[in-house]
This record gives sequence, structure tokens and C-alpha cells, in this order.
Amino acid sequence: MDKAFDMAKDALENGEVPVGCLLVYNDDIIGKGRNEVNQTKNATRHAELVALDELRDWCEVRNVEVKTVCERTVLYVTVEPCIMCAAALRLFNIPVVVYGCNNDRFGGCGSVLDISSADLPQTGTMFKCVAGHRAEEAVEMLKTFYKQENPNAPNPKTRKQ
Amino acid sequence: MEPQRKRLKTSDLDLDSWDPVAVLSDQLCTDVELVQALAAPVLDHRQTSRAVQELRQMHPLRGLAHLKRVRRTGAGSAHALEVLVRPLHEPSDYDYSRLGLGDLFVVTVPSTAPLTRPQFDTASAHWPTSFHEDKMASAALRGELFPAGQKEKMHRYMSLAVEAAKDGQKLGLDAIGAVMVDPDSEQVIATAHDCRRKHPLHHAAMVCIDLVAKSQGGGRYGYEEFSGCGFSASHWSAVQPYLCTGYDLYVTREPCVLCAMALLHSRVRRVFYGTAAADGALGSTFKLHAQRDLNHRFEVFKDVCVGLCRELDQSRSL
Repeated sequence: MDKAFDMAKDALENGEVPVGCLLVYNDDIIGKGRNEVNQTKNATRHAELVALDELRDWCEVRNVEVKTVCERTVLYVTVEPCIMCAAALRLFNIPVVVYGCNNDRFGGCGSVLDISSADLPQTGTMFKCVAGHRAEEAVEMLKTFYKQENPNAPNPKTRKQ
Repeated sequence: MEPQRKRLKTSDLDLDSWDPVAVLSDQLCTDVELVQALAAPVLDHRQTSRAVQELRQMHPLRGLAHLKRVRRTGAGSAHALEVLVRPLHEPSDYDYSRLGLGDLFVVTVPSTAPLTRPQFDTASAHWPTSFHEDKMASAALRGELFPAGQKEKMHRYMSLAVEAAKDGQKLGLDAIGAVMVDPDSEQVIATAHDCRRKHPLHHAAMVCIDLVAKSQGGGRYGYEEFSGCGFSASHWSAVQPYLCTGYDLYVTREPCVLCAMALLHSRVRRVFYGTAAADGALGSTFKLHAQRDLNHRFEVFKDVCVGLCRELDQSRSL
């Protein structure tokens, strides 16, 4: 988790939403990620999806099956995965997710919706959540970020009607 | 890289076989819920405004602010006005005759504010209520949402998505296609097909979102090996484009939770899809586009070119 927090800090320093995560398989870190939405102009580049891509690369280099590895991999992430990431984790068959604070805006593990245990037979497998480690600190980082202006946001639009 | 354009024959246009159906939040499609309350006839009508003022103080009708306090009775009634006194189970031993009111009686009133014309008609048959119409929803329920000519455009864009799906299918991929369109300039920004057999998250909508990012100088993946996936930068936008703000997605099959939330994060304007999916998150399992607590809402329409899209679904399962 400490490493995940370092990733989140790196995101914050680079003008990204401060979320960091690690994918751990047999005590090895096989994927890590931090939010890179602004950098890629792609709103789906959350820490979890970045880390899952690293996991795929790790598997490819070693010529091992992604699914077999994922079934024994734990995700450590500073903030509760959002609805999209929760669906992605299911599609990758990750069984356990350890996270810091809840995500009241987008949380997909119970805060807004519970995708982690929803009955979605065509969307991979359910996963277990362990929440609360260093939660206050994760919240503080998010608050710091949201106090800043988003440099990429367009000028607020006046309503067309 | 511009995906190659396909010309459509007019004979391909089969506009009568489908109609776009708005996927509205449950709140907009359900019947008005009712709750019981106590009302009283106004016997001394000179005291009406004082009675209403006093009742507002005594019984503020929390959560029922949409209800009017006074209603006119029909011809033939002994008194011209009735007032809403309090919710049925709110205790009070006040003597309402001091306000010029007659004996209390039970009325059924709508428990939530009506949002659509049909809801308003039902609600006001019970008790007069204020009405802030959701015009889009009312028009959708009347089937008058789109001006003439709009269906041809929908057909044109969805046909491009169908063609992309077929391109993917030829490569042994799942037959699902998507295009992202700037409806103001009528420009196709990105065209994509499903690539989940190459990467578990590269569903057609996800590929489309990354190609839009590419059109803005970002993006994460190449997709160069797929001729059916491509993008073109927006030429017409006066402002710097931001994610998928203002864009419409046409996708042959209902997006799943992953894609629906990705579209929400991308601030898409509208989503048009053909067929429903078992795990679909824009109508079938969830209505993410209308989910409370989320920071962006968008409009969703299903059944667009549903025949063409169903053919794709069936060809995949063979």
C-alpha cells in the first residue's frame, strides 16, 4: 500500500487525480499504475487500467496465461475503484481488491453501485474488497487535487435552450 | 488514419422498420406514487389566506412541496375551496374550526413531483400539484423527439458502425461496431470495432474513446493493425475539444458497465444503440446515464437500426 501511495503522489505532482495502485502476484509487483487521464486525453486511463496493461505485458514477456495469473493476483489501490474499473477488474478475474478510502463520486464497490458483487454473468467474476487502509490520507490527497483547477477542462458552457 | 468510407445505396435504407426509443430513468417512466393526507373544506372563505398561512407554519408538508395547498371544488359542492391540512399520520389536536375550516377528511395525493405530462395528468386528478416538465422525457414519451431527417442521419451513422463490426468479424473478432460523431459538424470522429479477443477491455466503445483521444493528440493504443478502426481530427470545432464532450456514440449493441461508465467519464452527449445486451448498463441491468450521484448525465436511445444490429448479433453466435 505504501508503494500505491507513492504512485498517487506522483499523479498529484503531475496534475492527475491522485490515485495509485499495484497488482501483486506471489509477492511480486507485476503491474503498477497511476491516473493518466489528462496526459492521454483518455478518461478511461485510471490507475487500475494502466496497471492491468502492465500485467498483460508482464504475462506476455513470460509467456504465461493472463487469466491464470490474474486469478492469483491482488490489487492494492489508494481509492475505491470506480464503476468502470470495477467492471474491468471483473473482466480480468482479479479476486481481491484492497483499497484505502471510499469513492463517493464514482465508487463501484458499494459507494455509488456495487459492481464487485453484482449479478453480471457476462462481465467476468466477482471480487472481494478489503477497505480502509490509510483512508484519511487518501481522502486528503483527493481534496488537495480537487481544490486545484483542472487545466484541461474547457470554459464552462452556458446552457443552450 | 481515416477509415475507408463506404457508400450506402438508397435501397439499403430501411427506415420504417425501426424507431429510436428513449431509455428514460425509472423515475420518469413509473406511475405517480400516492400517499394519504388530511384535507378540510373552507367554510369561511374570508379566512382562506390566514388559514393557509397558519397551516404552513403548523404543518410544512415536508417532502410534499410540489402540492398546492388549496384546491377548487367542482360545481355542485357546498363549498368552493378545500385546503390540504397535514399528512395522515402527523399528530395534532389543533381545532381547525378556528381557521374557518370544516371537518377533516382523507384525500389521496401524489407523493412525488410529476416530471412528465402523463404523470402530471394522473397526479393532478388526485390533487393539484406544481409541474416542472422534463420536456425531453415528455417528447420522448410522445415519440416526437427527433425532427424530420434525423432518422436518416441515425441510419447513416449506425450503418458505419455495422460496417466496422463486419470488418472486425472478418478478422475473427466479435461483430460489434461503434462510431463517435460530432453532431454539430456532422463529422465522424472515430470508427471502431470490438477487439476484446485481443485485449479483454477493448470493447468497441472503449476503442472508440481512445481513438477520439488520438484525434486530440492523446490516446494510448495504436490499433494500426485494424483497418476498421480509425479516427479523423475534428476540423470544425471552434473550441478545443475535451474528451467526448458534445459527441454522440453509435454502437451496434448496448454498452456493458465498463463501456457505459467509460462513456460517462468521457462526458459523451448521447448514445444510440441497436440491440440490448444481457449485461448492458444503459437500460438492461443499470441505467448509468440516469444514475443519481454521478456527475454527468447523458441521453440514451435504443432500437436504432435494430434489424441490422440483430443480424450482427446472430451472425456472431453461429
